[in-house]
Amino acid sequence: MSIGRDGIAGLVLLAISLILLVKSFQLPSLPIVPVGPGFYPAIVLSLMAAASALLVLQDLLRRRAPAGVGDAPRRNYRLVVIAFAIVGAYVVLLPLLGFRVATVLFVGALQAALDRPRTVRQWVVLAVIALGTAAVSYFAFERYLLVLLPRGAWTGF
Amino acid sequence: MLDLLWNGLVNIAQWKYLLPLFAGTFIGVVGGSLPGVTITMTVIVVLPFTYGLDPLAGLAAMTGVYVGGSTGGLIACCLLGIPGSPASIATTFDGFPMARNGEPGRAIWLGVWASVWGGLLGALFLVFLTGPLAAIALEFGPWEYFSLFVLAMAMVAGLTESSLLKGLISTAIGLLITVVGHDPIGSVPRFTFGSQFIGGGFPFLPVLIGIFAFAQIMTDLEKLNSPRGQPAQSLVGVKLERFSHLKVNLEIFKQPFLLAWATIVGLIIGILPAIGGSASSVMAYDQAKKFSKTPERFGRGHPEGIIASEASNNANVSGSLMTIMAFGIPGDAVTAVMLGAMTIHGIQSGPLFISQNPDIAYGIYAAYILAHPCMLLICVMLMPLMLRVTSVRMAVLAPVVLVLCVVGAYALNNTMQSVYVLLLFGVVGYVLVKLGFPLAPLILGLILGDQIEINLVRAIMTDANPWLFLTRPISGLLLLAAATSVGLAIWQHWRHQNRLAEEEPDF
Repeated sequence: MSIGRDGIAGLVLLAISLILLVKSFQLPSLPIVPVGPGFYPAIVLSLMAAASALLVLQDLLRRRAPAGVGDAPRRNYRLVVIAFAIVGAYVVLLPLLGFRVATVLFVGALQAALDRPRTVRQWVVLAVIALGTAAVSYFAFERYLLVLLPRGAWTGF
Repeated sequence: MLDLLWNGLVNIAQWKYLLPLFAGTFIGVVGGSLPGVTITMTVIVVLPFTYGLDPLAGLAAMTGVYVGGSTGGLIACCLLGIPGSPASIATTFDGFPMARNGEPGRAIWLGVWASVWGGLLGALFLVFLTGPLAAIALEFGPWEYFSLFVLAMAMVAGLTESSLLKGLISTAIGLLITVVGHDPIGSVPRFTFGSQFIGGGFPFLPVLIGIFAFAQIMTDLEKLNSPRGQPAQSLVGVKLERFSHLKVNLEIFKQPFLLAWATIVGLIIGILPAIGGSASSVMAYDQAKKFSKTPERFGRGHPEGIIASEASNNANVSGSLMTIMAFGIPGDAVTAVMLGAMTIHGIQSGPLFISQNPDIAYGIYAAYILAHPCMLLICVMLMPLMLRVTSVRMAVLAPVVLVLCVVGAYALNNTMQSVYVLLLFGVVGYVLVKLGFPLAPLILGLILGDQIEINLVRAIMTDANPWLFLTRPISGLLLLAAATSVGLAIWQHWRHQNRLAEEEPDF
């Protein structure tokens, strides 16, 4: 009997729901209302804990096929990690560099990461799309739709 | 009622509404035709543009996206053999073979016209049935509302393709997200761990955008540079053959039963909460095949397959709009975003929505009706462009969509906190997708969480007897239906497992 991905996910969710369930019992009750603020979360968390426990059990009882090559398409997880890192950097830099500068850098960097330009022409296209996205969205939102976009603490721009 | 509808049509025909509707429909057709870009993602991209607009103008734009996207998906189906959006999945089965047989124009235009007629037939139901449904919902007390929401969640959890358990856990996660922050009765902070950041709870739209758009884009990126991710025999750039629109329409109306039945299937699936256009497309296709005199021709470029799938997915839009307008429950993820947009403008959806906001309600009907001729006009005028749009690379699309997601979250209240929530739930959504947890139940839990709690507490405050949930007839029936739905899902799962065990070779 070995534990699989579903089992591990179930265990993590079970732990989270049990910790929060204990927390929900510690919430203060209110004098006028017949049910306290912890009443409803406790129901939700009990349901989640029960379903998570069953998921772990189901996973433990499941007959596993031997690991093989299989027909599943190859996934490019490296690209996903890089993309998340670039988005993370964008979110951090947004209040520091401001929307316009950060967006040019973000769109350029992510495009280059997803499909690396090889010729000068491809680099020019990348730069045009990066500048165009920042400029068009800035003008559309700030000028016409009256939506204020972040200014940079470092750039003042 | 017809007076109000006429007023709504006249109102929407003004430039300030017609322009957003037309632009929304255009963006919907483009977004729908891009493989990997769903209608939900397109409506999320359009969302920040609607913040500065009049509420009806914003909702008209979103309705346009919804209608346009439901049709746009068929272009990629016919030219690439992969659906542009999940709502068009069944169009691929016959659209692509027909296009490969040298009739791409016939395939695309059969789909476009079937979408128009299916959508407009759906509009009849939308206009005439939403009011009576809302009137029924007005009779509901907190017990019935609670039970109705429980039924909606049970159905969605039960209908998910993966396991029922994962569906239930996903629902619970959605409900749990709404619990974080101050409780709705006494404002006691719950699960905030002393943090100011989550003291007010997680804002709905950044969570929704993070979970849907981010998770979807990241999943698409996994397939980038993979030979399996590319379509085998693309027909992008193909010139459409000469054909007659009249002939295409005659072909559709030669089978009025097929058109009507596909519309009704789409409408019913649309009314059922959180089940999207993909289910309606596949179900209508399956029904068309069962009722057809020539079922053996399905899958080889049979027009009936295209008509059924496309009429159904556009009628599905009207069903989803009915549910949101009569009950305040989103029919799918797109209407969930619309619900969020309504909340931003201070509009409360639910049974009182039509009577309290007749201008907006009939404006939405009118926008839905007018979106169809707009979509047709866009297809007629810009088809050569649409045929090329399907080849836009993900490397270009992904950064632009992500920027608009960030703007959508930031512009909600001009704080970076919403952007942090967006990123956090982007990661959560992606992890859940990778672990095989369905996202639709999570979103429904997220939307209904507050309402469920309020109605539960209200019911208990009115009468502490918990048996009332079962003994009040409508509430009892709804809970029975919820239990049946879960029971049915367990039985189907058990039957599927048994069948697999029987098929397994015994050595």
